[in-house]
Amino acid sequence: MIEKIYLANQSFILHHSGTMYWEEQEILLISDVHLGKISHFRKYGSAVPQAAISENFRKMDQVVEFFSPRSIVFMGDLFHSSLNMEWDLFTEWMETIEIPVILVAGNHDIISELKYEALGVKIYSEIIFGDLLLTHHPEERAGFFNICGHLHPGFKLRGNGRQTLQLRCFYQNKEQLILPAFGEFTGNFWISPNEGDRIFAITKTEVISVF
Amino acid sequence: MKSKEVISKRTELYDLGKDWFKAQGWKPFAFQKDTWRAYLQNKNGLLNAPTGSGKTYALWVPIVLEYIKNNPDYKTKHKKGLKAIWITPLRALSVEIEQSARKFAEEMGTQLTVGIRTGDTSQKERAAQKRMMPDLLITTPESLQLLLSSNNYSKMFKDLNAIVIDEWHEVLGTKRGVQVELGLSRLKTISKKLKIWGISATIGNLQEAREVLLGPESAAYQNSVMIKADLNKKIDVRSIIPKKMEKFPWRGHLGLHLIAEVVPIINNSKTTLIFTNTRSQCELWFQKLMEKYPEFAGDVAMHHGSINKETRLWVEQAIRNESLKAVVCTSSLDLGVDFAPVETIIQIGGPKGVARFIQRAGRSGHQPGKQSVIYFLPTHAIELIEASALQKAVNKTVVEDRIPYLQSFDVLVQYLTTLAVSDGFFPADIYPEIKSTFCFQAITKEQWDWVLNFITKGSQSLQAYDEYKKVEIEEDGTFKVNDRGVAMRHRLQIGTIVSDAVLTVKYMKGGFIGSIEEWFISKLKPGDVFTFAGRNLELVHIKNMQVIVRSSKSKTSRVPSWQGGRMAFSAQMSELLREEMYEAAASMEKGADGKTKKTSEELKALKPIFKRQLQESIIPKSNEFLIETFKTREGYHAIFYPFEGRFVHEALGSLLAYRISLLLPISFTLAFNDYGFELLSDQEINMEQVLDNNLFSAQFLMDDLYKSLNATEMARRKFRDVAVIAGMVFTGYPNKLIKTKHLQSNSQLLFSVFRDYEPDNLLFLQAFRETFEHQLEEGRLRQALERISQQEIVWKACEKATPFSFPIITDRLREKLTSEKVEDRIRKMLKQLEK
Repeated sequence: MIEKIYLANQSFILHHSGTMYWEEQEILLISDVHLGKISHFRKYGSAVPQAAISENFRKMDQVVEFFSPRSIVFMGDLFHSSLNMEWDLFTEWMETIEIPVILVAGNHDIISELKYEALGVKIYSEIIFGDLLLTHHPEERAGFFNICGHLHPGFKLRGNGRQTLQLRCFYQNKEQLILPAFGEFTGNFWISPNEGDRIFAITKTEVISVF
Repeated sequence: MKSKEVISKRTELYDLGKDWFKAQGWKPFAFQKDTWRAYLQNKNGLLNAPTGSGKTYALWVPIVLEYIKNNPDYKTKHKKGLKAIWITPLRALSVEIEQSARKFAEEMGTQLTVGIRTGDTSQKERAAQKRMMPDLLITTPESLQLLLSSNNYSKMFKDLNAIVIDEWHEVLGTKRGVQVELGLSRLKTISKKLKIWGISATIGNLQEAREVLLGPESAAYQNSVMIKADLNKKIDVRSIIPKKMEKFPWRGHLGLHLIAEVVPIINNSKTTLIFTNTRSQCELWFQKLMEKYPEFAGDVAMHHGSINKETRLWVEQAIRNESLKAVVCTSSLDLGVDFAPVETIIQIGGPKGVARFIQRAGRSGHQPGKQSVIYFLPTHAIELIEASALQKAVNKTVVEDRIPYLQSFDVLVQYLTTLAVSDGFFPADIYPEIKSTFCFQAITKEQWDWVLNFITKGSQSLQAYDEYKKVEIEEDGTFKVNDRGVAMRHRLQIGTIVSDAVLTVKYMKGGFIGSIEEWFISKLKPGDVFTFAGRNLELVHIKNMQVIVRSSKSKTSRVPSWQGGRMAFSAQMSELLREEMYEAAASMEKGADGKTKKTSEELKALKPIFKRQLQESIIPKSNEFLIETFKTREGYHAIFYPFEGRFVHEALGSLLAYRISLLLPISFTLAFNDYGFELLSDQEINMEQVLDNNLFSAQFLMDDLYKSLNATEMARRKFRDVAVIAGMVFTGYPNKLIKTKHLQSNSQLLFSVFRDYEPDNLLFLQAFRETFEHQLEEGRLRQALERISQQEIVWKACEKATPFSFPIITDRLREKLTSEKVEDRIRKMLKQLEK
């Protein structure tokens, strides 16, 4: 099931991959992929299975094919750390992508801008479209609604029989919409929402409004 | 006649030792003399002696005598260099051992030096030791590994004569035991004259303990002895029985209801040790004692592992010089340290092990001719049954085995990296050493190659672009770590077998209070008040791995609950418990003569509880297997009572939940204790269906168990330890939290990644194997199923919770198992929330 929401009079489709599609602009928003994290760990002597590396690319291909957007905006923390072999995989992946790719830089994005530019990726610290402000870190700015990432939001749901479920989610409050982390090998920050906030949990196949 | 000369020389040496004992006004025990003799005959061995029996002198004396023999001018000349290593599992014990050792060395007129090297030893001191090792080094299993990670270590151990593993029973059933086994396998090669000795309290598998220590069928084992100190001590076990059973709680684990009963016991005894099972319980008991009986201020102290070292040492000293009436403590006072003034022990709540109970009892009544006195204080009603069973267990000395770990590849990975960090190693040299240990006696060449590949390539096949970096293979074939970062992280990691990240607690104005587990602090916000080290403290902030606090006058506070309080009954103890239960059932029925049978005080006291139980349900007899079902606000409860001990119940509960979940989409949370287990669900369990489908069958047992493990979190939790030990999860540099954040990963995530992408990884599989071998105990499980198959199943559909069920259904630590689609569960939960 797919959820559609409206932010600043624009319509967005939430996808179970953790990405969000902006219908009017035909932009695909992806946050906190943390490419290179697995290679980074391996470089420091922690033998995380290499086979997991390709999963992020496979999932990105799937979602790009599903929406066929006109452009892709990465909402920061695209790469986890400095250059490693996953940059080469990213370079290969970029060759298959024929639409503009933009990166709103985050705290982990320490790879040189020149490197990104060589691949045709444009870097901004923030993007403003009308009343919408796209940043990596959550921000509160008067007159704008903020779309961002960084937090890796997750939600714990409780039920009878002392049951609990831990789910990744989109988190919407008065000021912001925060995207879940797209990356495979990333942790969560558990949200305790306030009255009026909204939470859309994602499973392997669906997006479900849970708060 | 050479041999005669040898014997007379030896007698001369003994006399030196005996004279010293005489000068102290002591007389050596037979076991001490036996150990001296065996040691001086160059034997290895295992000494079975309880804590506080003089075991230090059993081994330190002959070590010094051997030095005297080899260095006739020992009084004037000092031959420097490491001669003996004393391994102790608890840092706290090292000071005590050092004092005893130093006293003997000095009074014998030798110039032997004694040094300590543990996590508490300063950087400066360590560097000095590196330049010149003391003659006797007292250290921990981790620190021994660290020594093996230093350059040119083989030179340091060249003249080592002896290594003593103290409290071997405590180390044996843990991965630190594997660390010791591996360290010894190396020392056997590089220290040619090495004698290996272990000291162990009584456990069920002493012979095996000797084999694990020395290596099965090794030359060291062939040349070894077992010496038993038969200090037959009488133990007097008494239960504290509540006067009004009607008001005694059905559940709980604190025991504070009976606090008033403890006061006369404290007053009537010189010194009393009050053992609690967890540090949080220890904190609470101390606080409540102070609150209700302020007259005890200054006479009662507290002792547990998180309190700072100075305070702990002060408390220990105060016990020795009789300036304290009582100490509330945890297992931190289980070992070492002889406290003569202690007359009485109080055990609060089930000790979950007869060996531990006996050991604690043994902390009292040290004067010759005195007996040990231990009181058992039950924390809830049903625990009185345990009290009754414990009395019998002590009389029969039914003690548990400590099961050694097998094929711990995580420790092997750590050890090989250690060797690679120091001088590097050739696999051909190390493989036979590894294979000679108990832990790895069955390792195959394939597994060995797998481990070598793992540390050099991070996988089994070399892949393009990979930047994995840990151990490198040099041109000459040496396996070596060349990267300084890898080496440094590895050294820091060696000590973590395995505890949570620990933060130090400090006052704002300075002043160290103790250390606390990170996961507890992470639940608090600045301004929250918590109880620690007997004080109420307000959290100010957390900075650089330090928890900064100020004193608080607030009455309400949170008490840190430390993990690790969960242990399980052994098979024998479970059997005694079952028998006690059957006796309880019989005691409620009138015999042919119209009278009820005579029973223990404990069971007599439980009568009102048994009556309540009988209103709704039954007390199972030996041919009955009881199942109770009822509904509460929480959902549908099904309680099963095999009385087999917690571990078997964990396995049995998971197995049953898994098998039911195959019949229909359903989600469970599971709780376990030593009496039984609970399956709780938001939908009713069709018990007739469970019984008709014969779900307790032993058929396909292993297969179903494996699948149920996959469905629950047990293996996932085991994997955490494995991942940390094998160096896959870096727990951080001390005081440098932020900089290493990019390397910290979560073992939970790692587990999922392995499950999805590398399910044949030996370390991943190890998590499952360990769950089977150390937690689920397949053999016991089969026996339990066998027994159940011969019992009559009595299913009671009850109106409400029964006394027997109460301790289980109120347990909040739960396993999960589901066969429902996650989307369906979300929708169901949302619907329940709307109601």
